[in-house]
Amino acid sequence: MSRAWKSPVTAREAAPTSSAAQQALPFLEPAPLVQTLSLTPTSVRRLWFCIWLPGLSLEASRSSDGATAIVEEQQGIHRVLLADAQAEAAGVMAGQSANAALALLPTLQLEERSPLREQQVLEGLATWLERFSSFVCIADRDVLLLEIAGSVRLFGGIRPLREKISTSLCQHGFAASLAIAPTPLGATWLARAGRRVCIRDEQNLRRTLRDLPLASLNWPEGLCASLTGMGVISIGDCLRLPREGFVRRFGTEHMLELDRALGHLPDPRSSWRAPERFCADYEMTEEQSDRELLLNICRELLLSHEQFLLLRQLGAQRLSFSFFHLKSSATELRLGCARADRSAERWLALLRIRFEQLVLPEPVIAIRLRSGMTQALQAESERLSFHTASNRPARRYSIAQLAERLIARIGEQSVHSMTLVAEHRPHYAWRAQSLLSDWTSNTLSEVRRHLQRPLWMLPEPALLPADSGYPLHQGSRLQLLHGPERLETGWWDEDGISRDYYTAVNPAGIRLWIFRNRSRTSSWYLHGYFG
Amino acid sequence: MLENPRVWRGRSQAQRKAGLASGYPELDRHLPGGGWPAEALTEILTEQYGIGELRLLMPALARLSAEDAQSDHGEPGWIAWVAPPFQPYPPALQQCGIDLSRMLIVRPKNASEVLWSAEQALSSGTCAAVLFWTEELDDQTSRRLQLAAEKGHSWAIAFRPMLARQQPSAAALRLELHSSEQGTRVHILKSRGGRPTVLNNLL
Repeated sequence: MSRAWKSPVTAREAAPTSSAAQQALPFLEPAPLVQTLSLTPTSVRRLWFCIWLPGLSLEASRSSDGATAIVEEQQGIHRVLLADAQAEAAGVMAGQSANAALALLPTLQLEERSPLREQQVLEGLATWLERFSSFVCIADRDVLLLEIAGSVRLFGGIRPLREKISTSLCQHGFAASLAIAPTPLGATWLARAGRRVCIRDEQNLRRTLRDLPLASLNWPEGLCASLTGMGVISIGDCLRLPREGFVRRFGTEHMLELDRALGHLPDPRSSWRAPERFCADYEMTEEQSDRELLLNICRELLLSHEQFLLLRQLGAQRLSFSFFHLKSSATELRLGCARADRSAERWLALLRIRFEQLVLPEPVIAIRLRSGMTQALQAESERLSFHTASNRPARRYSIAQLAERLIARIGEQSVHSMTLVAEHRPHYAWRAQSLLSDWTSNTLSEVRRHLQRPLWMLPEPALLPADSGYPLHQGSRLQLLHGPERLETGWWDEDGISRDYYTAVNPAGIRLWIFRNRSRTSSWYLHGYFG
Repeated sequence: MLENPRVWRGRSQAQRKAGLASGYPELDRHLPGGGWPAEALTEILTEQYGIGELRLLMPALARLSAEDAQSDHGEPGWIAWVAPPFQPYPPALQQCGIDLSRMLIVRPKNASEVLWSAEQALSSGTCAAVLFWTEELDDQTSRRLQLAAEKGHSWAIAFRPMLARQQPSAAALRLELHSSEQGTRVHILKSRGGRPTVLNNLL
């Protein structure tokens, strides 16, 4: 444990709820505890921005119009958890049974609480909040925490930052309670109590926390009730109780929580990381087959993809779209790009080419966009304009872009570059090279000048008819000009050859590259044209 | 106006837009500008492939692919092969002096994709030359490709079967290749700014 206090970083990482700490703390007097901990280096000041979303379950629900209430099953009875303003005006309150609420307002729409959807909304918010801080934490099912000490300067002070976040939350329809405090738990409690405060030092925090009612602590109801029965109604009252007695009655956990909130104990949090790959769905209310509309939806998805990558300074090289249908299985569309890119416009241009050819068996009900591996984007500087003063004007797009466009329409297999391979067997002496990978690697292999090689190669050697041992081409005898060049190699794999190659010419003057297998002396093959 | 190659000025060769030297002095002498028409469409008609149509182009293509980087702000041009009838064989290309790292092979699935790919490659401005093999090239399409070649400063070469001889074409140069025992005969059918001729035993 002593190691854990050495530096603020390790202190943050060390779990304070280790069994040793739990066992040891209750028997310590409060004063010496504070003294030992004040030895902790305080150079790293943290400031926590808490966002409490009391109406999250309502905001995460999908119904848009009319009075809505969220219900949750408690002990077999559906009870109202939250009601919107319209429903509240009619007298619907939290805690009512669903039937009672319906009796008050027959048009009320009841919706089951969906923790999954709430979590998704919360994660979406956390992703969005990453633009304000590098440290975002989902602290509870309706609480988000941001560490903003490092961001204050960038955003021009705490107040502008808070305004920015709160107006954006408002615009997106979230009712949030915000608070800023040096400890995460302190900020959370202040936010839950609805105090829109900004506290920077711990002295001030302790003073403010003392007045908070127990209800803002989110402690179990039984505990709160027994404390209230004892006349303890605020945090200050709690702190005035003897520590030992408090621990014995109510357990260590709550005492530790108080210590963490006041800053007596470190409170490490783990940062939430948005996934590095993008995956987003767009679900339509009804099936659509209008291509222009579908393309527009894809554009929306690509724009959010661009935003996603922009925040991370990443680019994607491959994307895949899935078009879901009601009856048949989803139609997949994959796009590739020569260099990692995030620009929605560029991806859209590629998509347009492919989309023209895409056959959709049925109308589409949902579209999903998924990015492949992302990679750090390499920034590139533009050329200065006076370099382009030569007679050629600036190119419309680079070879990479040309290759992308061709590949988008024709397919990756059909567009390639070529490179030499140091190999004697003619059909292995080269290979196709994908343009989507890095093609800058230059081959070092060199073909000897004196070897006769044809410009045109047949994909497979063609058997030539023979007339008493002489090869025929287009019905007439071939005249051998040059050869033989014996290639006998490749015995180490399945594809060994043993051939005598000749250059031949037919009566029409066409020069051919032919060979004869040594093992089967009678058969002649045509392997290429000298073009 | 006199610089316009469409204006025929008798036999005078002065003040012509310079062409790409073909590497065959006899051919160069008969072509306006002293070489292949740059930034324009050239059509080559053959009875069958493999009779020397590539050898005819190799010297010019080699020069284009190896062209000095300075002439084109840092990147020499690419050479695109759209729908070649056989596999262009890299070792032989290298023997002809062609920079293999600048080859782009495109194998479209149908005729309309051939023309689309050729037009994309021509107008992109990255390809110094675009070779394509097609049987369907009408007057209107050849005009489009001619414009794309002008726009992208690229040399377009269309290889077509002999049947296309009667069809009109917007190409700046049309050649016909015949192979015989004595060698390949090149017949200049149409040459913008030049006049038709027959060259025997060129290759």
